[in-house]
Amino acid sequence: MRLPKGLVAVLAAGLVLSACSGKSTSTTTATGQNASGTDGPHKPGGTVTIANTTGQTWPCQFNPFNPAQNQEALGFVYEPLVHVSVVGNSKETPMLATGYKWSDDLKSIVFTIRDGVKWSDGQAFSADDVAYTFNLMKQHPALDLFALWTGAGLSGVTASGNQVTMTFSKAAKPYFYNVADQVGIVPKHIFSTGQAAAHPDTWTNPKPIGTGPYLMGTCGPNNIEYTANPAYWQAGKPYIQKVEYPAYLDNAPANNDLASGKAQWGGQFIPNIKSFYLAKSADNHTWSPPLLNVGLFPNMDPSHAATSKLPVRQAIAAALDRNQIALIGEGGQQPAANQTGVVVPTFQKYFDQAALTASGYDKPNADKAKSLLASAGYSPSNPLKLSVITITGYTDWDASLAVVKQQLQPIGIELTVNDLAQQTFLNKLYTGDFDLAYYSEQNSGPSPYYELRQIMYSKNSAPIGKNATSNFERYHNDQADQLLDQYATADDAGQVSIIKQLSALMLNDVPMIPTTGSVDWFQYNTADILGWPTPDNPYAEPSPYKVPDNEQVLLHLYSKAAQK
Amino acid sequence: MRYVLRRLGFFVLTLWAALTVNFFIPRFMPGNPLQALRARTFNRLSPEALEQMLTSFGYKPHENIGVQYLDYLGHMFSGNWGVSIGSALGEPITKIVGQALPWTLGLVGIATVLAFVAGSVIGVLAGWRRGGALDSVLPSVFVVTSALPYFWVGLLLILVFSVWTGGWLPSDFNYDNTVQPGFTSEFIGSVLRHAILPGLTIFITAVGGWVLTMRNNMITTLAEDYIRMGRAKGLTNRKIMYQYAARNAFLPNLSGFAMSLGFVISGAILVEYVFNYPGLGYLLYNAVQNTDYPLMQVLFMLFTVAVLVSVLLCDFATAWLDPRSRAKG
Repeated sequence: MRLPKGLVAVLAAGLVLSACSGKSTSTTTATGQNASGTDGPHKPGGTVTIANTTGQTWPCQFNPFNPAQNQEALGFVYEPLVHVSVVGNSKETPMLATGYKWSDDLKSIVFTIRDGVKWSDGQAFSADDVAYTFNLMKQHPALDLFALWTGAGLSGVTASGNQVTMTFSKAAKPYFYNVADQVGIVPKHIFSTGQAAAHPDTWTNPKPIGTGPYLMGTCGPNNIEYTANPAYWQAGKPYIQKVEYPAYLDNAPANNDLASGKAQWGGQFIPNIKSFYLAKSADNHTWSPPLLNVGLFPNMDPSHAATSKLPVRQAIAAALDRNQIALIGEGGQQPAANQTGVVVPTFQKYFDQAALTASGYDKPNADKAKSLLASAGYSPSNPLKLSVITITGYTDWDASLAVVKQQLQPIGIELTVNDLAQQTFLNKLYTGDFDLAYYSEQNSGPSPYYELRQIMYSKNSAPIGKNATSNFERYHNDQADQLLDQYATADDAGQVSIIKQLSALMLNDVPMIPTTGSVDWFQYNTADILGWPTPDNPYAEPSPYKVPDNEQVLLHLYSKAAQK
Repeated sequence: MRYVLRRLGFFVLTLWAALTVNFFIPRFMPGNPLQALRARTFNRLSPEALEQMLTSFGYKPHENIGVQYLDYLGHMFSGNWGVSIGSALGEPITKIVGQALPWTLGLVGIATVLAFVAGSVIGVLAGWRRGGALDSVLPSVFVVTSALPYFWVGLLLILVFSVWTGGWLPSDFNYDNTVQPGFTSEFIGSVLRHAILPGLTIFITAVGGWVLTMRNNMITTLAEDYIRMGRAKGLTNRKIMYQYAARNAFLPNLSGFAMSLGFVISGAILVEYVFNYPGLGYLLYNAVQNTDYPLMQVLFMLFTVAVLVSVLLCDFATAWLDPRSRAKG
């Protein structure tokens, strides 16, 4: 799950001759074989091994509220109410809720809870468990990881019969993703007794009881083995009987196991993926869909004279050849981004091609960039000196910035790249101590709204010296704030229109300069296992570290060998 | 006796100074556990909830630093080390360290002892036949190997024995994930196979130093009068070499060895990192990355104590072996 990174990768790059071909590696491999497989039902059997760099040995704690460990539990053992596919046009799959209904003012929602579901210890699951889970987060603010009771305005959760009603103090539709998809429902009869009840935040939960498709079989520091839950409520599922989840401390061994076929489901950057992975077997594939933007955050606080000037930001945005950055810096594994801030093709329906073309940022334009920079008082003979901070060890970002530097030089910007340790970098980023920062928002959602809100909402900003949540460039525009506020009550068409207006602000004000997409890393092997998410069938986010999407993937997978 | 007391007093003073530095330095580092956790959870979760969560696990950013310091000193001695607030959030430190310690002691400890024994024997032989075939080849080779950085040797070995040979020897982990730990030949075999490359890395880089010092000590000792005396008495070469020369030449090397044992526990951080070997060195790297104060504190404390104790033992051993060092200390 760690991005491209790591000391070893850097060191290894010095030893292993990297085959730097100028050609792009396609992000999707189209082959004759349909990796999605056929629709079920299938016979049970088979094992899937996950190669996802966790960077630590497993602590064997399965508390779904522990933010550092809940990847071990969510999706495997604990399930959400409704699954929302971020990469698949927000397609919803009912899980523990069979349906839901918003009130007209969007301030309350009623979930209908599924009947006939059992916890893995045999007790019946009910609407009480759902209400208990959310109320537990109110009692213990440490559990309220998505700030539902504080930020989202959740004001009450009650259960009656098979219905759970949630009321909010404001229109809460944008929080549906957090409420329905991101929270794993826990059993009341476990969490209301003993140590779990006393300290639900620090409880280790070594033997998790859930409704999910897998049971924790064995757990040691080096490996977790999940076994199929025989009493899972979707009869006949899951098909895959065992999931092995070794703890990979670094990318290199995880990638080696993927290349050799020992592991089938990968989730990290593989340098030179064509020769290292794809060429090793015709069964090896990759599809890494972009979800967010990576790019330059210009410091817009007036204390930073150059980057707070619009022409300077416009000049940078105009000068960059984003295709080249994606091709050279990212080896073609992350697609080029665009200045509207809408990630394509993932969020195609929100993308305003006409506006992008009209703005002139659709292709690099050095002359325009030069004249813009001249209007700010800089030229190649009187260059503007800027520094950009980035995280040391993120080798692909270093490569991208080398390209950026090369592209900005002819128009009259001398860029200095400062590689900082992650902690130092984040400190500077949060407090606004930079000219330019190369970074990516981290929190993706089922529409561009979630990312644009992080970038553009002024409440996510803070004065220089104070920690900003996500508006690191310190952008403040009342119009953007209003648009973002209106999004909560808008209908589908209205939401598309709001995103397009926000894109227009991205084009006009250039509060952030996207260069490439930030992707969900995903590699998969089809020698025995089929049913993978593909561009044609994007039923879930494909990376193994994306919870609870991992559950959807596991419910689709099946073994070819077991079908004979 | 006075000498011993003085050494003990010095030991306590050094330990206190080290523990104090160990408390404050991590807190002067940029970043804090909350930031690290935010980054690791993709800025997706509410910072307030995360701070609450860390507070539940014992992180007290707002408490007076003096109080924290006194608490810390108490906890270091009482063994009440708390739980991790880094990547293994909530895991007791004793358990984390307990899982990693045997691997480091086994790998780095055995490799260090082997390097010392082999280095000393080669040094004796080379010094004895000064200018001989062995002496003209090996010392120059070892000057080179002892100057090679750990991680570089590690990467080279991985490339040659693992990558080029198609996974002939495993390049990562302490044992195969598919093997269940236990006293089975399969598990032990797996552990040994996984230790070959990292062990060899430490051996290659460490053995050179022992060879060179042993050889030079040997040559100096061979020039002593009592060696000539032994020859004149007609003793066998073997007896002169081992019992007259090597025994004396060995003393300085032995004290060096005692000190190097202290460094075993800190593991060879880069070796463990390169080989994904889940020992203490790797743990330290991870703790620093995640600003895991409790884990960092305990690891630094253990490293300090290990070095100090071996230095102390070395002092005592020297005092016992060499009366001169006792006289006026």
